Amino acid sequence: MEDTVITRRDFLRVAAGTAVAATLGGAVIEETRAEATARVVLIRHPAVVGDEGKIRGEILQSMLDEAVKTLLGTGDPSEGWRMLIRNTDIVGIKSNSWGRMPTPRELEAAIKRRVLDAGVAERNTDIDDRGVLTNPVFLKATALINVRPLRTHHWSGVGTCLKNYIMFVPNPSDYHADGCSPLGKIWTYPVVKGKTRLNILSALTPQFYGRGAHFFDRRYVWPYKGLIVGTDPVAVDAVGAHLLQTKRIAHFGEDRMLDVPPAHIAAADKDYRIGVSDLRRIRLIKSGWLEEALI
Amino acid sequence: MTAEIAKAEKNPEILLPSEAAGWKWDGKEERHDPKTLFAYMDGAAELYLAYGFTRLAVRRFEKPGRPAVTVELYELASSDDAYGVFTYERQDEPAGIGQDSEFGGGMLRFWKGRYLAAVYAEGEGNDVESALLAIGRAAADAIPKTGSEPRWIAFIPGREHGLVDRSVRFLRSHVLLNQRFFVAHRNILNLNRHTEALLAQYVRNGQTTHFLLIRYPDGKAAEAAYRGFMKAYLPDAGGKDRWKTEDRLWTLAEKKNELVLIVFGAPTETDAEALVKATVEKLDK
Repeated sequence: MEDTVITRRDFLRVAAGTAVAATLGGAVIEETRAEATARVVLIRHPAVVGDEGKIRGEILQSMLDEAVKTLLGTGDPSEGWRMLIRNTDIVGIKSNSWGRMPTPRELEAAIKRRVLDAGVAERNTDIDDRGVLTNPVFLKATALINVRPLRTHHWSGVGTCLKNYIMFVPNPSDYHADGCSPLGKIWTYPVVKGKTRLNILSALTPQFYGRGAHFFDRRYVWPYKGLIVGTDPVAVDAVGAHLLQTKRIAHFGEDRMLDVPPAHIAAADKDYRIGVSDLRRIRLIKSGWLEEALI
Repeated sequence: MTAEIAKAEKNPEILLPSEAAGWKWDGKEERHDPKTLFAYMDGAAELYLAYGFTRLAVRRFEKPGRPAVTVELYELASSDDAYGVFTYERQDEPAGIGQDSEFGGGMLRFWKGRYLAAVYAEGEGNDVESALLAIGRAAADAIPKTGSEPRWIAFIPGREHGLVDRSVRFLRSHVLLNQRFFVAHRNILNLNRHTEALLAQYVRNGQTTHFLLIRYPDGKAAEAAYRGFMKAYLPDAGGKDRWKTEDRLWTLAEKKNELVLIVFGAPTETDAEALVKATVEKLDK
């Protein structure tokens, strides 16, 4: 598939109903592989974000707990968290500190609370973004929880969980080629490989279109009031990208596909075998408030 | 004359204003070059680098009790590039500042000479909007020279063909093209720093058509790009220069000297031909 060129016409074929399938911008879906599927939970609550944009931490905590319980099929959230985290783990919570739209502090706190509840010592857990390569907890981490806001991104199409690990390499710009398609490679490096227990996309107030020097414009942020949660980062990202794509079409009309096809999501699946990018093989479990869920 | 002096004369310092509309500069100026731009912005730096970014100056303006205002002044390789960065993102109404500008969403953007400026606030309010415009005007006045627009704009078919106001964009890479009009995920048109691409939007009878004019360094490069495009995008055209695609609209591509002209989404074959013909007639004059 090295020489395959995805053109506008591939999308036109989808629109015309003549393509076999293409669920993601940039993802050429070959024959459906039977071996792998993924589960992703979308949970929403109408009151988690107030009129002033204030996040209600107690509702967010319950959403996160419910998502973990649903994702892992456990009887109660604490059982689910104990499946994810052992009390002997050293846990790095990889967040995102982008100034215009950082990971909400309430969400970071909700995650940390459950990590501590699982019996992890306070000294063995930390939250970081740009300092992960020098943070002792992250350097010794046996477990990672990956959390960041969902947004469009100038160079990778979408800013989602796969992209959130770019701070684990000293040379981030080396991963920007071809819609950031090499991002999946980072997940194969020892600093993170096999350590990620949970991926959380904050879709509380996602950004569906970017503009300006910092690619941020408050007109294109909307109160979706959701979390997208899964153990498979590729599947979580595929669902997040699908949501942004759907929102853009709803807002702008027919001709606003994602600026950059998020090729890194398909590449993480096909080239690096990190997870499932084909929406047909992702079981999306929706929970809570469903009004204008879009997906 | 040393290289440093020559460079300084070529790129004189722009002295940004220190006060406007009651907002005062806090006395600090943040500066970035191509190596440090990534540290200043997450994800968008490559846009400026694609247009030959050379340096950035950032000033913050404050007024007690009111949101702070930030001015970013980007120096690009040429006025073509400044025009390019500006048009790449243009979407709002002009504000009459610099050589062209837009104001919306709490942000003023303008270009003048080889500079692109962005002025924005960390909050809202009528006085804030007035301040953005006042500070922007002062910043534009600090730039002494204007610059030319890309010369190929003169050959783009005009309103008589349904050209949408403010829709022309000047693009330096296939990634930027894709972000405004997705063509292909690979660089099948061989766009780079040495090519000049203009993308324009037309509407006739409610149907949107896109027109792409690309100038290559020479006819040979144009020929290679044309062939690459036809092979990847219109493989079913059977050697013709046009094809009715899956959306029942027409795509037409033509090479003329060092130019490649492509029409996407024309309602009829005649509409597609008309855009190319209008361009060629201007070129032949």
